[in-house]
Amino acid sequence: MKGKLLTGNVAAAAGAMLARVDYVPAYPITPQTEIIETIADWVREGKMDSRFVQLESEHSMLTAAGAASLAGARVFTATSSQGMLYTLEMLYNVSGWRAPMLLANVSRGVAAPIVLEPDHNDVLSARDSGFLQFHSETCQEVTDLVLLAYRVAEDKRVMLPAIVNLDGFYLSFTREPVVLPEQKMVDRFLPPYEPVGPMRATKPVSRGSSVFEGYLYSYFRYNQHGAALKAKEVFNEASREFEGLFGRSYGPVEGYMLDDAEYVLVMSNSFTGLGRQAVKRMREVGVKAGLLKLVMIRPFPTDEIAALLRGRKVVGVFDQNLAPGSGGILYPEIAGALYNRRGRPNAILPVVGALGGKQTTTKELSAVFEEMMAIDREGKTPAPMFLMRKDELSRVKKAISVAEGGS
Amino acid sequence: MTAFTRFSDEKITEKGFVFAPDVSAIMDDSLISDPMANPFAGLRKGGLAVVNTTKPQASVLQGRDDVTVVRVDLTGQALRILGKPILSSGIAAAVARISGIKKEALLTALSEELGDIGLGADMVAKNVEFATTIYRELAPLKLNTEEVPTAEELVPLAVVVSDGGIEKVTNTGNSYARHTGNWRTFRPTIDYAKCTNCMICYAYCPESAMSVGEDGRVKIDYDNCKGCMICMTECPLKAVSQSREGGVQ
Repeated sequence: MKGKLLTGNVAAAAGAMLARVDYVPAYPITPQTEIIETIADWVREGKMDSRFVQLESEHSMLTAAGAASLAGARVFTATSSQGMLYTLEMLYNVSGWRAPMLLANVSRGVAAPIVLEPDHNDVLSARDSGFLQFHSETCQEVTDLVLLAYRVAEDKRVMLPAIVNLDGFYLSFTREPVVLPEQKMVDRFLPPYEPVGPMRATKPVSRGSSVFEGYLYSYFRYNQHGAALKAKEVFNEASREFEGLFGRSYGPVEGYMLDDAEYVLVMSNSFTGLGRQAVKRMREVGVKAGLLKLVMIRPFPTDEIAALLRGRKVVGVFDQNLAPGSGGILYPEIAGALYNRRGRPNAILPVVGALGGKQTTTKELSAVFEEMMAIDREGKTPAPMFLMRKDELSRVKKAISVAEGGS
Repeated sequence: MTAFTRFSDEKITEKGFVFAPDVSAIMDDSLISDPMANPFAGLRKGGLAVVNTTKPQASVLQGRDDVTVVRVDLTGQALRILGKPILSSGIAAAVARISGIKKEALLTALSEELGDIGLGADMVAKNVEFATTIYRELAPLKLNTEEVPTAEELVPLAVVVSDGGIEKVTNTGNSYARHTGNWRTFRPTIDYAKCTNCMICYAYCPESAMSVGEDGRVKIDYDNCKGCMICMTECPLKAVSQSREGGVQ
């Protein structure tokens, strides 16, 4: 089917429209603003039967979103970067309230220094908040994952909020053909949201109360964890139905050229496309290269990762984020998923790259594959790679010299 | 490159920055000699470039004899047809034409796009005329490219972090070192026979590109004037006139 050329931002807005969201509390931030501008236009033009309100901050926005979700509204909102950081306190609350709202995050590196292009420190700051996380590689995935995320979040076995992530610029402002599902079919896939014990002015209920006792707190926290783990099975069920209706299939992870692969790079989000190119190039020169894409970050698809990485020689984990003093954020999670398994890969190479959307070449990723091969050949302990090219470093030096008054 | 796109009959998986384009569209010929812009950077051997210019071929080539460069006066046609130097439809047409995209596909896309951003039917029609004119002016070119090999060496972390990387710039602004005069499409000229030195242009200039010379007369700093022509609009005596940069009237 021929798609319509849409930016990732419009694809996210279209997902919200197709999901017939009731309420959109909003706050602008580059590179997300196009999402809420688009929704604001559609609401004004009567294309969307939703209530659109601009709040005074991301913190208030999330509070309004969670409260409306408890009242029974299907809620959509969006943020990015510092905005995500500012929601953080409420993210934990909203997930503890078990309010299944949806937050689109348009990834952008966090300040300081200020940057506009993507890395995943923003969305991964919400890693432990109890929000489910689905990360998209293409604009089509943005629309589809919005619909799937609502379906999973609102399932009575789950009842947790969700984040759909899309990279700033690389998806947010990149237009790709997107096939928009028919409204009638979406309505079949995603029936109206039914809240549990909705808050009503006429019938007060209590949520997010103080429990004080650790055993009570533990009970609710463990249940939140159980629900998040359950979300994987619910996602798989929903995904099978989605495929039946729309012909596109999604899993918690996706393999690319994995069949006989000996060297596998683990990636997520839009830079995965570049990884696919690198795999193709390596294959052309006879290297058995493959790629594993993470779609679901929360719950973390441990079993799928372990199964698909079993028996590989060396695995590289490409983290487009940095925890200073530790390294990439996903590397320890992947290592943790593999350590107790039989047939685990011989070595895992941590790679950090594309911070702040650093323009990355296919050759840089080919160099990662070459390093994986060297580790295997020489039996050495992997040393973390932090990607930067020589030509980039000389541009850094030049910029600093100009800023200091030189030429 | 400041903007880029990919088109293919096959599924495109690669996103983001295009390091080695097949086709470069250069919207302003003053960029060619600007070392910061370096618009031919990465253009593949055998690649195509279209330059918006009225200058002769030799002055736009910049030593790239391994690429095909076509020149087109987009600004002139835009001014004639649209009445404004807005080049988007023309450059789209130029790239489409030289890379072999059908006219119908171009014009359909153009009408859809411009309709979507809310342009009226009249302006859409003018843009279609602009695009059609440029499309007719050019011919499809043969594209048979190979990448210019570049040295791409990674540097280890120890080298990157060797100086501590603390932002320690104590210098105040240095934007004065960056001349923005080459942004101009139109060049303002003061007719000192009419000018009474009332300083209205001086007050209105948004770029502080009007200064007072040693003779006490207002004068234009052409290194930094961006050609917005506010001085001409505001001058009560019509003592400021405009001409197109590059000697074209």
